[in-house]
Amino acid sequence: MAGLSIQAARKSFGDTEVLKGVSIDVADGEFTVIVGPSGCGKSTLLRAVAGLEELTGGRILIGERDVTAFAPSARGIAMVFQSYALYPHLTVFENMAFGLRIAKADKDEIARQVKRAADILNIDGLLDRKPAALSGGQRQRVAIGRAIVRQPQIFLFDEPLSNLDADLRVRMRYEFAALHRTLGTTTLYVTHDQVEAMTLADRIIVLRDGQVEQVGTPRDLYARPANIFVAQFLGTPRMNVVPVTVSGATQAALADGRVIALPARAAPLAPGTRLSVGVRPEDIAIGAAPGALPHRIIFIERLGGLATLHLQGPEGSEPLACQLRDDGSLVEGDVVPVQLPPDRLHIFDTDGRALYGEARE
Amino acid sequence: MNLRRWSITLLAALVTLVTVAPLLWMLSVSFMAPGEAAQFPPPLLPKNPGLENYRTLFGTFGIGRFLANSLLVSTLATALALLFTVPAGYAFAKLRFKGRDATFRLLVAALVIPGQIGMLPLFLELKAMGLVNSYAGALVPWLAGIFGIFLVRQYCLSIPDEMLEAARIDGASEGQILRQIVLPILTPIIVTLALFVFLGSWNDFMWPLIVLADQDLYTLPVALAAMSREHVQDNELMMAGAVVTTLPVLLLFLALQRFYLSGLLTGSIKG
Repeated sequence: MAGLSIQAARKSFGDTEVLKGVSIDVADGEFTVIVGPSGCGKSTLLRAVAGLEELTGGRILIGERDVTAFAPSARGIAMVFQSYALYPHLTVFENMAFGLRIAKADKDEIARQVKRAADILNIDGLLDRKPAALSGGQRQRVAIGRAIVRQPQIFLFDEPLSNLDADLRVRMRYEFAALHRTLGTTTLYVTHDQVEAMTLADRIIVLRDGQVEQVGTPRDLYARPANIFVAQFLGTPRMNVVPVTVSGATQAALADGRVIALPARAAPLAPGTRLSVGVRPEDIAIGAAPGALPHRIIFIERLGGLATLHLQGPEGSEPLACQLRDDGSLVEGDVVPVQLPPDRLHIFDTDGRALYGEARE
Repeated sequence: MNLRRWSITLLAALVTLVTVAPLLWMLSVSFMAPGEAAQFPPPLLPKNPGLENYRTLFGTFGIGRFLANSLLVSTLATALALLFTVPAGYAFAKLRFKGRDATFRLLVAALVIPGQIGMLPLFLELKAMGLVNSYAGALVPWLAGIFGIFLVRQYCLSIPDEMLEAARIDGASEGQILRQIVLPILTPIIVTLALFVFLGSWNDFMWPLIVLADQDLYTLPVALAAMSREHVQDNELMMAGAVVTTLPVLLLFLALQRFYLSGLLTGSIKG
């Protein structure tokens, strides 16, 4: 096993620069998820690590080896594709054995490796079947099995769950986590699904427009997003962000003129400074309190245990989303007092960068 | 409902009869005595079925030689066509190289030029190369049919790139990918193409007539045409010749029909 280091990776297709100098380090054995909106370059980055795309600039190191110029098969990686990419004319066994056969491995060795992978994935009963006779989840397992058989130093996953139905996706997510615990192999996993990223990753890398926005543990990224993009990309419903103007040492005025309290750690801010204040829907509290702002409930999404309230303040104010336990007592049209707890607020400057005590200069 | 089914069956039977009747009569006449088919009304079945016509064909006219010639030319044409068109079609669909799409567009544009227009320049070219009056000359037009390349390319486009990339990661060379992954997937279209080329070269009359001067090199259609000039009134003999020409390809078609049909349907059915 080995770690992975991507250094200043650049990739252009014609005039379009897809990767604009991406540097990432993945520690040995770590499960790292690259997440970002479609078109952010995350799949290109993964394919570059696999050797399926040639970089325009930069280096890729696996362990201590510079593999930038290596063929895909020489890099010590295995990749699981979104479409599974199984060979349709070969049986499950032959699919999994293909790489070893190409490498002219010993017959017994091939059988042993395939058996081992099939045992891990509980597909030993399917080895004689063709891919067409398998369900989506089974195909996914075979694709993973094919990767395991290669005994790679690094697993690469390209949106492996996006073709599965919601139910199966949840189960496979759990299995991915279990698989990583069993094998302990360094893993780079690409997805656009922030839930997958949050639940699977040791570390998340948020990519946008070919650049790294932030790297950190899921908890880190959620609690201390570096900018508005990351703040809004992780978490559903997404974080509310409203523009404010500093009006005192620890207070600011909303667009409609009402005043809210800012967290003490934000101080000191010069009055008149324009900022954005972010608050996660689950951090908003409903109930009478000093400083609470009346909002009308314009729509309620009831999810069973939880409900999302869509709130509208007076003319000129930004709508807010608020998530809370649904006791059925609230109805659309009600006007409720809304509290924005100061210690739960995220403060961003006009460029969208987060202002945290120590990071603020 | 029942009536509809009956009328469809009846219609199908009629169409079948119209299609098959000439073939069956051809077979029947080939067993008749000389002059028997020229009577009026023409008899459906031979009075005294015999193999006399076939004996004349294979004995006096030595049609066995031409049958062998045709088999050789068509088999070689098919093998060579597959050898060149299948990799070419795959390359045009899946490999990245400079000028790929421009070259392909040029090829497809050339499809609209009738083959007859190319015959004279091709003949002169082959003459310069010293290939006139040889099987090599007869085979040249089949080497890389644009239609075949087009057919294979279109089919290859439906192979997902990710599958080929998976094979690359598995360590397969481009040659191994073609042989072990692409060719098995292409089987239906390869059978279809083989059948097209075999039928086309088997039935081809014009080009072998132009390029083959030596009578010993004649293929069946050319030999049969030469024969019919002398024996224009010998219907029974000509029919036996037609049977010898038609039967092999008919049997080939029936044997490969299953693949051929699945090849034709592949474009329309996903996965």
